[in-house]
Amino acid sequence: MLSRLQAISVKVTDPFVSLSLVQASRSLQTSSQRLAPVPPLPDHGGKVRHGLIPEELFEFLYPKTGVTGPYMLGTGLIVYLLSKELYVINHETIYAICIGTIIVYGVKKYGATVAAFIDSINEEKVAKAQAAKDSHISFLTEAIENEKKEQWRVEGRGMLFDAKRNNVAMLLETNYRERQHMVTNEVKRRLDYQIALQHLNRRLQQEHMINWVEKNVISSITPQQEKESIAKCIADLKVLAKTTQAKAAA
Amino acid sequence: MTLSLFDQFLSPCCMLNSLVAIAITLPWILFPSPTTRWLNNRSLTSQNWFLSQATSQIFSPINPPGHKWALLLSSLLIFLATMNTAGLLPYTFTPTSQLSINMGLAGALWMGVVILGMRTQPTHSLGHLLPEGAPALLTPILVIIETISLFIRPIALGVRLTANLTAGHLLIQLTSTATLAMLTIMPVTAIFTGILLFLLALLEAAVALIQAYVFVLLLSLYLQENV
Repeated sequence: MLSRLQAISVKVTDPFVSLSLVQASRSLQTSSQRLAPVPPLPDHGGKVRHGLIPEELFEFLYPKTGVTGPYMLGTGLIVYLLSKELYVINHETIYAICIGTIIVYGVKKYGATVAAFIDSINEEKVAKAQAAKDSHISFLTEAIENEKKEQWRVEGRGMLFDAKRNNVAMLLETNYRERQHMVTNEVKRRLDYQIALQHLNRRLQQEHMINWVEKNVISSITPQQEKESIAKCIADLKVLAKTTQAKAAA
Repeated sequence: MTLSLFDQFLSPCCMLNSLVAIAITLPWILFPSPTTRWLNNRSLTSQNWFLSQATSQIFSPINPPGHKWALLLSSLLIFLATMNTAGLLPYTFTPTSQLSINMGLAGALWMGVVILGMRTQPTHSLGHLLPEGAPALLTPILVIIETISLFIRPIALGVRLTANLTAGHLLIQLTSTATLAMLTIMPVTAIFTGILLFLLALLEAAVALIQAYVFVLLLSLYLQENV
């Protein structure tokens, strides 16, 4: 409650006017719009000097009394209280000095550490949320990339189908040629057989004819003819032998 | 009007108006109420952290039915710690140094846990009157002793807190009076007494927090027995 007042007083320079404004308008604010959006918290609290006295007092007194004004005011007040014995020095004063020293020492020594620890609690919260957000974003980016890859793959599928189609066509062509080759071979074999058969027939006929001719010729040769042909052959041979001997001697 | 040593424990009044109610309720403004924001300022974050740590530590050994007491005991812890530490400042009145307040808290809360135990599981609660592993011969005496210790508990709780704080404040007053008195006569002794006062103040700061924790811890132990 007080922090909200402080937040508003930071914006308006005069603290008293702002406080009274907030109090006056609080009864008029009935709509839910004042709850959202929530105004941001100021990063730092109000500035204080010596841990206790707000900076606004020093700024208030500066135009009239300069820099030392508030200190003179404080000293004068303390001296007045002491001299008039409005504040009596008793045992509590000694104790106040003691406990004051302890508190100031404690705050000065451990203040920064405690503040850093508390800030770390808040930062951990933010870091957790940020980590969750980052992991989700990275997951989604990965998903987008995977999707793009799938789309590229789908494009490539057309080429795959073409290749497959070509493959199948080639197989069919090969098969067809093989069968054609086989057909040609078979036909050739059958034709070769027929040719061989014809050749065989021709040969048989020829041989038969030759044999018949020879038989008839041999049976037609009379013994007289046979004797005359042998004598002629011997005479020819003798002549040949003479000529050969002559060639050899020459 | 001379001050006696016990005048610091008088119930505070300002012109016939009793200020005890203000003394007890005013420290409430030191603790900011939780907001609807996700990230808070340092005081609220530290308060939340401390409360969650303390509550989880005190209530982890207690069975789940006892967790209904979490709000009561954690607010009691904050109340006592604030009262005790605020009483360390000079010229303040410490409400927890009064037997009336402490006995009121201790008696009512102790009776609450005992009645809860007796109502929900009477056999189990009465069974605590005989500690485990005790020889059978000593049973009658032990039951009597345990009953007495059971009924002493509220008195012990209240008086422990009162005595600690009263004794501490009295010592501080005595030592500071001695320091002040000797400051003009024997300054060196006054310095030693001053050092003693310094250490005493440190001790009192520790005692203030420890006594509050002990009060709440003992109540949580009694609750653990009975729930």
